[in-house]
Amino acid sequence: MTTLPLEGVRIADFGQIIAVPYTAQMLAWLGAEVILIESQERLTTRIWPPFAENEPGINRSGGFNMVNSSKMSCTLNLRDPEGVALAKQIISVSDIVVENYSSGTMQRMGLGYEDVKRLRPDVIYLSLGAFGRTGPMKDLVGFHSVINLFSGLASLTGHKGSHPRIMGGLFPDAFSGCYCILSLLEAIYHRANTGDGQHIEVAMTEALGTLMPEAVMEYTLNGTEPERVGNRHKDKAPHNVFRCQGEENWVAISVEDDAQFQALARTAGNPEWGFDKRFSTSEERLKHQDDLEPLIQLWTSGLEESEVVAKLQSAGVAAGPVLDSAEVLADPHMVERGFVQSPSHPEAGPRPLGAFSWSVDGNQPGLARAAPLLGEHNRKVVQELLQVPDDEYARLMDIGVIG
Amino acid sequence: MPQQGALSGLKVVELSDHVAGSFCARLMGDAGADVVKVEPPNGDRYRWSGPYPGGSPDPEWSGLFLYLNSNKRGVSLDIESLGGRTGLLDLVTAADFLVVGDNSLEIERLGLRRERLAKTNQGLIVTSITPFGLTGPASSYLGDDLIAISAGGMAYATPGIPDMVRDPDLEPPLRSNTNMAGYLAGVQAAVASVAALLSREIRGIGCEIDLSIQEAVAAVMPFELAHASYHEPKARRPEIFGVMPNTYLPCRDGYVVIMAVMDSHWRNLMDLADNPDWAELEVFSSGVERARNWDALEPLLLEWTMAHTGAEIAELAQDRGIPCFPAYTVGQMVDSAHVTERRFMRDVEGPGGEKFKLPGYPVRMERTPWQLFKSAPKLGEHTSRVFEEWLGYSAEQLEHITV
Repeated sequence: MTTLPLEGVRIADFGQIIAVPYTAQMLAWLGAEVILIESQERLTTRIWPPFAENEPGINRSGGFNMVNSSKMSCTLNLRDPEGVALAKQIISVSDIVVENYSSGTMQRMGLGYEDVKRLRPDVIYLSLGAFGRTGPMKDLVGFHSVINLFSGLASLTGHKGSHPRIMGGLFPDAFSGCYCILSLLEAIYHRANTGDGQHIEVAMTEALGTLMPEAVMEYTLNGTEPERVGNRHKDKAPHNVFRCQGEENWVAISVEDDAQFQALARTAGNPEWGFDKRFSTSEERLKHQDDLEPLIQLWTSGLEESEVVAKLQSAGVAAGPVLDSAEVLADPHMVERGFVQSPSHPEAGPRPLGAFSWSVDGNQPGLARAAPLLGEHNRKVVQELLQVPDDEYARLMDIGVIG
Repeated sequence: MPQQGALSGLKVVELSDHVAGSFCARLMGDAGADVVKVEPPNGDRYRWSGPYPGGSPDPEWSGLFLYLNSNKRGVSLDIESLGGRTGLLDLVTAADFLVVGDNSLEIERLGLRRERLAKTNQGLIVTSITPFGLTGPASSYLGDDLIAISAGGMAYATPGIPDMVRDPDLEPPLRSNTNMAGYLAGVQAAVASVAALLSREIRGIGCEIDLSIQEAVAAVMPFELAHASYHEPKARRPEIFGVMPNTYLPCRDGYVVIMAVMDSHWRNLMDLADNPDWAELEVFSSGVERARNWDALEPLLLEWTMAHTGAEIAELAQDRGIPCFPAYTVGQMVDSAHVTERRFMRDVEGPGGEKFKLPGYPVRMERTPWQLFKSAPKLGEHTSRVFEEWLGYSAEQLEHITV
């Protein structure tokens, strides 16, 4: 592997749960040295399922290990002033600080941006909050479900005539994380050019707000709220998922124009659909989706999803399998492309994870290594990096400042 | 002096037929890069997507186009003609980045691979964004948002926890009624591009980024993939797990999110509901019991929530320390005090003085703040100026490429 883009960049990671841990993880994959500051007592994802072999253990959680790979772990008691002092020492030799505690927590510990800037004037300091760090809701804590429901996205998600739905995959955390990563890389480039660090603030609800420009525009122009339409589309029909052979198998099919619809009809062995007046144009098909969709499902339900996809794609019609998470990690296409990496963890063993959505000149742009055991790098960080002598290290361990 | 963006001074050429490519390039323009969007003579497809401020179709005022293409300049070229192709290749020789958004067949047909383009521009970074990537067994497949959300694992995972499928037959896998996959991929493509820029600083040469939209969807679901990786696949109709209430419920004017996960939350919630008799029932005596007997509890709670507005419930509950939020429609989100105070939405005025809003930027960067440097270009608005500025074209050369 050639030199990674972030080699030589050190990050002090005060990330909680998913959003900021995910951010720092990708930067670690890209070559940064990430020091995850953890508490021995206040554990979150480490004690949440899923666990390796269903056996609970602080180093066995998939939820933790999949957003903290390639990092170092240092356990400090931040309720103790001596713990905070060590955190400050770590920060003063770091390029970047990232945090998503609730608003005000870092400041109360003396680790807010203004404090940190005195230690490291060119620091890049990122704070992420569910609602951001300003505004009347800044103190509220919110997980992905709340972000979905506050941002209006849930109101755009759901089957016709039914309730709002929370979009799956806890994606608000990681999507907000993508904006964090982008802004941090930009800030690194800016600092390389000017020498200036800066403060960066991200609101998860606003990250989701960037997904829905049309709905915002319609509402502010006309006062109209979007309807929930299931998987249907305003301009394309058919555009839905259809059952295939077996219990939990669906195929997604999206037809953009009349020629593609003719191709679909021929592929399904029903060229006469193409001559049916109800289906002759996009406009007509949009009107008669209730008639059309059952016909398509009758065809797909006798076939494997992969068969439908292959047939339609070779006829020039967009189609794809509806994959579940296990199928994503086993998908031959994504595996061949290198999206799936399997770092081996000392307690959990080799576990596949989804790494980069892109390759660089045909190679993965970085490498996922195992997630750290709790406190695994205490000695490396405190003794090697901060140069704390043996007896002082022992004292700090004894009094529980280092976990 | 006005502040400059982090990427100011860099040149980007964009050629995109989908949301992901256009959004990626816009994010680079948001960071101050000089982004030139190359459109065909009849314009980008999203000029015909709407919504339109005046109600009737107008390619200069399509909402989605305005949103995706602010902070860019626009040139119009027929790249299928010899002259237009020459113009495109000339622009690329002067650029730091070429962002291509299309399917892989088109990218190959148009010869937009870096090895062909970088002969005279070794620093060039080509960011290619396609439904399934440029390599791998499915690389030639067509796709759109529905296909990507399905094949990336997110449709199957929707609704996400704590939401649940009540009837699998009535609730097949689901997408949201947005171009979500395009935005997820667009942000990640911008991340990849800026990471490549940092690599270029080290290595001195550019590279080719091959981003798959399918993988960009899968990449934002680390927690969901962790479950599969640790062999705990999620059923689409999970047993109600954990503790309740930790959900959202219909109320008088919409929906309200109630996360009364601790027993103290529950007692306070029952106080608010005037301690109905059923609150004392054994079957509701703990969070776990309340989850087990949720089918009985839900209608009882609904009686209370339906008698109040979401805002009333949230305010009363928050006063008593219960995590509780109104669930918003898009309109309620736009009008909320929080979003208003943070000035997340930006104001736009249409050709007839129509006033509307579009989402702004979810990241506040202290030194390199997001700015609306320029509104989306009219079709071909900057053709001559860009060729003059970037390449010193004469009037004669201009005529040659635009014929």
